Amino acid sequence: MSKLTEKAFQQKNKRSITEINEKIKKRDVQVLTVEEMKKLVESSGIEVAFKEVDVVTTGTFGAMCSSGAIINLGHADPPIKIQKAWINDVEVCHPGAAVDLYIGATNMSELRPFEYGGGHIIEELIQGKEVELRATAYGTDCYPRTRLETTITKNDLNQFHLLNFRNCYQRYVCATNSRSETIYTYMGKLLPRFGNATFSGSGALNPLMNDPDYETIGVGTRIFLGGSQGYVIGEGTQHNPENRFGTLMVQGDCKKMSPDFIRGAAYTKYGTTLYLGIGIPIPILNAGVAKKVAIRDEEIFTDIVDYGIPRRDRPKIERVNYKELKSGRITIHDKTVRVSPLSSLKKARVIAEKLKTLIEDTAFYLTAPVERLPTDTTFKPMKQTKEITFVNSLVHTAATCTENEEISAVAQRIIERSVNHIVVVDDQGKLMGIVTSWDITRAVANGKPKLKDIIIRKVVTTTPDKPIDEVARKMAQHHISALPVIDHDRKVLGIITSEDVSKLFGR
Amino acid sequence: MVRILLKFSEKIVDQPITSQVILEQKTPVNILSARIDQQGGEILAEIALAQAEKVIDAFRKKGVDVVVRKMVEVDKERCFDCGACIALCPVVAITFKDDLSIFFNEAKCIGNTCGLCVDACPARAIKLIG
Repeated sequence: MSKLTEKAFQQKNKRSITEINEKIKKRDVQVLTVEEMKKLVESSGIEVAFKEVDVVTTGTFGAMCSSGAIINLGHADPPIKIQKAWINDVEVCHPGAAVDLYIGATNMSELRPFEYGGGHIIEELIQGKEVELRATAYGTDCYPRTRLETTITKNDLNQFHLLNFRNCYQRYVCATNSRSETIYTYMGKLLPRFGNATFSGSGALNPLMNDPDYETIGVGTRIFLGGSQGYVIGEGTQHNPENRFGTLMVQGDCKKMSPDFIRGAAYTKYGTTLYLGIGIPIPILNAGVAKKVAIRDEEIFTDIVDYGIPRRDRPKIERVNYKELKSGRITIHDKTVRVSPLSSLKKARVIAEKLKTLIEDTAFYLTAPVERLPTDTTFKPMKQTKEITFVNSLVHTAATCTENEEISAVAQRIIERSVNHIVVVDDQGKLMGIVTSWDITRAVANGKPKLKDIIIRKVVTTTPDKPIDEVARKMAQHHISALPVIDHDRKVLGIITSEDVSKLFGR
Repeated sequence: MVRILLKFSEKIVDQPITSQVILEQKTPVNILSARIDQQGGEILAEIALAQAEKVIDAFRKKGVDVVVRKMVEVDKERCFDCGACIALCPVVAITFKDDLSIFFNEAKCIGNTCGLCVDACPARAIKLIG
């Protein structure tokens, strides 16, 4: 091939963002939503899809906790350099100079914690509602004021910008729970013994999943954000490209956003958050990009993770793909388990369609990134300077008895050993129950002197490999002061008491 | 079929009222769910429309508070169709429609006797009534 024809060949097989924007201007642009594009690739192949389509629109709508809004109040008279501030009783943070405040989505109301928080305030301000602002300060020569109370709407603010440091996860895990009790997590309500599962992310509709090597999405990319336009300002925190867990840092003007695409939300016993809609156009610059946007739900895999184990590295149970997740049923340990999305797939679809219409109507032009997102960053765990303590370093021998013993003998043991808990075991040392000094006192007072009748048989236990923080939380949740430590066969290895735990923290 | 919620006060909760009504009225009463605590008990049941009036009357005569109305209300404005509620529903009253919006079948919902979805809704769009 001669040099000239090679150049012509390459030009024919490429398309630039400038060319696409020219086409948008002339209303001659071919835009497909990512779902339409996948169908086209399936029916006509990548070459045809590349030739016919200029832009593909993606979308996602989900809980994005690392979100918030920066607001500027303008100066009060006399002026104040705010030290602490609350909006509708939600503490907002004061990250900079006098009257800039950051409304973090997960900050919770002091009066209605877990139900109302920063995410709701951002939504209400966008709706045009009035909110109450309260602030305190230490007072300086230039900013003498120490207290402030006023009301504000978005029109009273100079700037009201979304400034989110981690959004738009490329994919996320599927959560389930092995424990024998319901747990409430940032992945929602998880029923006992793998009773259900939840997943997040829009799979094959997700922006970053369709540009997995970040060839078109980068710093400066204009995006659909909360119903208006915003920008990618960099990689998000915990950006983890190697494991296909990329994230974005984004910014956009809240004053132009719509509550249809940005909502405050509450996760029971976890906290408040912000549901946010993000749509990103992917310019089909070459056949390679066209091929990548053809990715299907069945090709996007993630792990089913046991949130019942509250450790950094939660156990992975199985692999699953987004097609299975979206079907509503998955298999865990050979059992069918129903699975719910936490992200709105309907909204994700609406966003991709809306972005398509905006581009076709010349209301949205594409931008070339000024900088690529990193493809080699890793997500390191926290550096911890203090070793964590596990049950095995605090466990001590339990005072035990068998269920046929006389109550007086057990009472004698309580005094001799100077303990409050007696663990009831069978002849192989396996856990049968527990009795406390209080149970014995009550039994004697009530004239119920049979040990068998007072044994508590439903015992909350722990194992030697559990961190102390988990033990402390368990004791507090169940209002108890000791846990028998057992092995896999329920053989009693010892006991750990609230006294052991408090001694540790008192050290 | 008609759904009825039977509320038994603590005074009558230990009596075999439901069995008595079934025998006396010679009509099946399909118990969908039931719960009991210190304040009394509740049974959610289904009865044939033709017998509804006399069965409800029979329960009321025995001192049972009978509620005939929907037991759940979904705020469509607040709901953003995430689906967090779907897998929790034991009677599969919540499903996705073709357009991926949530369909809440209020006739299937067993309301107060379950309520698993209520605190799982991030939008706080589900409310139990009564």
